[in-house]
Amino acid sequence: MGSRLDVGRCWNFNDDEQPAYPTIEVTLSASGRRVSVRPKVDTGFNGSVAIGSSDVKRLRLTPAGTVLVKTATGANEVPVYLVKITQPQLAIAHTTLAVGTERSLVGRKLLQNRTWLLDCREGRFCIAIRTGPRRADADSATGYRTSP
Amino acid sequence: MCHVTFMNAAFVEAVRMFKSEPFCAADFVGKLGYTPGYARNFLSQATREGLLIAESARGRKGKNFRVDPDVIREVVLRGGKEKDELIEALGLRSKYLGEYVALRGFSVVDHDLDLYRLGERVFSNAETHGEIVVTNVGTPKRIITVEI
Repeated sequence: MGSRLDVGRCWNFNDDEQPAYPTIEVTLSASGRRVSVRPKVDTGFNGSVAIGSSDVKRLRLTPAGTVLVKTATGANEVPVYLVKITQPQLAIAHTTLAVGTERSLVGRKLLQNRTWLLDCREGRFCIAIRTGPRRADADSATGYRTSP
Repeated sequence: MCHVTFMNAAFVEAVRMFKSEPFCAADFVGKLGYTPGYARNFLSQATREGLLIAESARGRKGKNFRVDPDVIREVVLRGGKEKDELIEALGLRSKYLGEYVALRGFSVVDHDLDLYRLGERVFSNAETHGEIVVTNVGTPKRIITVEI
């Protein structure tokens, strides 16, 4: 017997480029400064958070080191920053290292151990919530329903 | 804080040979094979540039020198070829190749194959912020990938 998946909190795709891309809203803070950002969800990024240069400036971050990262075009050395990341819907509130990149990103490490709905029809990226055994009369082709 | 403007072969050799230990001009000549004239000029310039710290030699004529531990942090944060040379001169390649290391001055305070695990451990204490610097030694076995 399987479990049913309900749709929890969703974040709309950002359509400032085409095709639109999934995002999650997170709060980044350091040294008493705080910014709310909607980084692109990048499943090709195996880290937790990458922080873009404009957010580095807003938070006035100073590097805590440099590391080599692999990109589509080769290997690059980038700064790493210590930031607190907060995302209440994911019960995330911890300080972590964030690699410095051109734009802010959320990677697989932040997404792991959760079920996600990438809804390209509606243009939204959602947390899927397991809610117990699937009912025998569940006739949805997807098995999803939207939480009230 | 020092502001490193040059890091030449003689400085790298001094790091490799003496690390955090004090040395005098005679050591520089005897152990590294430089001429006395070159040694005098180098030690004087490197001290002015903030690479070395000069201190009075107890009971002896002349001065003792030490590599300024702040240089390690500064060179790591600058990255590039100089960082790789310094890491090699510190003898870290043979011990930690493929890992991430946390350095405080010349000392490796912690190391790990996983950047995030290392960060959680070494930056859990707020007092260490600004003292510790993290970096990779060679190509990390668990390299961060950003495929955008």
